[in-house]
Amino acid sequence: MTMRGRILTSPPVTVLLVALAWLAVVPLFNIEPRYLPPLGDVYAEAVKLWPDLLAGFWRTFLETFIGFIAGALIGIGFGTAFAYVRLLERAFFPIFVALQSVPVIAFGAIVVIWFGNTILAKVVIALYLAFFPVAVNTLRGLSGVNPGRAALLSSFGASNWQSFLMLALPSAAPVIMTGLKLGISLSLAGAIVGEWFGDTVGLGVLLLQALYFEQVTRVWVLIIACGLLGALLYGALSLIERRYVWWQFD
Amino acid sequence: MSSEGIQNGGMAARSKASVIPPHLQLVNVWKRFGSEPNRTVAVSNVDLSIAPGEFVTLIGPSGCGKSTLFNMIAGLLPPDSDGSILLSGQPQPDGALLGKIAFMPQKDLLFPWRTVLDNATLALEVEGMSRRKARAKAESLFPEFGLMGFERHYPHELSGGMRQRVALMRTFLFERDLILLDEPFGALDALTRAMMQRWLLDIWERHKRTVLFITHDIDEAIFLGDKVMVMTARPGTIKQTETIALPRPRDASVITSPDFMEIKRRLLASVEEESMKTFALSRDAADRKTMS
Ligand SMILES: Nc1ncnc2c1ncn2[C@@H]1O[C@H](COP(=O)(O)OP(=O)(O)OP(=O)(O)O)[C@@H](O)[C@H]1O
Ligand SMILES: [Mg+2]
Repeated sequence: MTMRGRILTSPPVTVLLVALAWLAVVPLFNIEPRYLPPLGDVYAEAVKLWPDLLAGFWRTFLETFIGFIAGALIGIGFGTAFAYVRLLERAFFPIFVALQSVPVIAFGAIVVIWFGNTILAKVVIALYLAFFPVAVNTLRGLSGVNPGRAALLSSFGASNWQSFLMLALPSAAPVIMTGLKLGISLSLAGAIVGEWFGDTVGLGVLLLQALYFEQVTRVWVLIIACGLLGALLYGALSLIERRYVWWQFD
Repeated sequence: MSSEGIQNGGMAARSKASVIPPHLQLVNVWKRFGSEPNRTVAVSNVDLSIAPGEFVTLIGPSGCGKSTLFNMIAGLLPPDSDGSILLSGQPQPDGALLGKIAFMPQKDLLFPWRTVLDNATLALEVEGMSRRKARAKAESLFPEFGLMGFERHYPHELSGGMRQRVALMRTFLFERDLILLDEPFGALDALTRAMMQRWLLDIWERHKRTVLFITHDIDEAIFLGDKVMVMTARPGTIKQTETIALPRPRDASVITSPDFMEIKRRLLASVEEESMKTFALSRDAADRKTMS
């Protein structure tokens, strides 16, 4: 890519361009605030909402993060077990697929009954959503290990454990990363939906309140806040990927 | 060690075969893949015997079962139950050969996430050597392998020939008395190849390891080997074993000597006959397919 192309596609520049377009479009087409409020109003609303917004941001971040980490660990664990124990895969994989087709809203109801309106309930929903893509991709990555490389390691007398650590895990890492990136976005959605079942703090809570009172400007503040949180989480994972898991799966 | 020493050592080993068991012995080794009607017999009835310290080259048409034979010797593939593999006179049950033989597969199979240095130390790490010690050991070999300055590079930054040399270094660092090399110089240009051949002979004469070496190149087979074994078209079996009595150490001029030419003429006829069969076979198969 050229230098200019790189600058044009860098995230801060994209954000700036969208903001400029927003500033220009609202007066230009005389858009009603109900559809798209002026950017200045949205900014003012954010300032007004600041302490709640910050608390909500932090809370939703925490739910997402804890749920995602737990879901990722469990997902990698199950994916690994499935990859090495065919019987386990045949017995449990279909169950997970079936579970996965239960809409999160339905599942969320029972979670809230079990855990109440605690942070734990949201963490569990975030976990539930992150788990599946991570497990599937771990299974896919570990089953796709190059047989030639595996044979080479056995010819050196490597144990199964050594093969796992030295070959299977690093060669599956790029695929697992894909699962994690899917998982983190789903975790965020899970945490927000979880808050809709009832709570007092969180971006989801604020969003629901704004919706009830038809505070369109506030809804836009929250859309931006959720987008920011999602972008931060995803960006952090991408950074880790670029730094530590840069090779291709083959 | 002088060249005479090697020659005599090899001869002695051969004449005293009853006293010193062959380093490697294959008795009636077969490998059949799949079941009827799609059965492929990859290797059939292979008998061979290699003395300690001997350099044997194996040549044969593409697809005749050379790599399959190597996989069996490396312990990666069990031979069919009608034959057996003996190491220093000891029969080796399935799986017993793993970890006993330094095997360099046909593809370099480098690990893309490891630097050149850490690829070279792979076997040492498997053996439990500390990373620091393994690296120190490998680092000293870099000049010899023409890879100095590339220690911290990743495989995708290397040329095909360099990757092959990394794979070769990895094999040498797995210090076993028997080395299997599956077309190690296949990806190298002619100049580098000639250099690597002489370098390999030099290493071999100093370290006295037993080498079994697959190649498609008759010159290479003769130049390197104490013995050249020719395999038939699939199902591969040993068709002919030619002892190469050319004096060692051998240098580039050997290739143009009359003795060399004479051996080459004989082997060429034999190898070409098998190659023709490979193509005739596949043509027959194609004919049968179109007819049915
Ligand atoms: N796992 C397998 N399953 C079925 N057939 C196989 C398998 N491995 C090898 N073969 C067949 O066995 C035959 C010999 O293959 P092999 O790789 O040993 O040949 P080769 O002599 O090494 O050829 P080349 O010189 O091209 O490397 C081929 O016909 C191949 O299709
Ligand atoms: Mg081969």
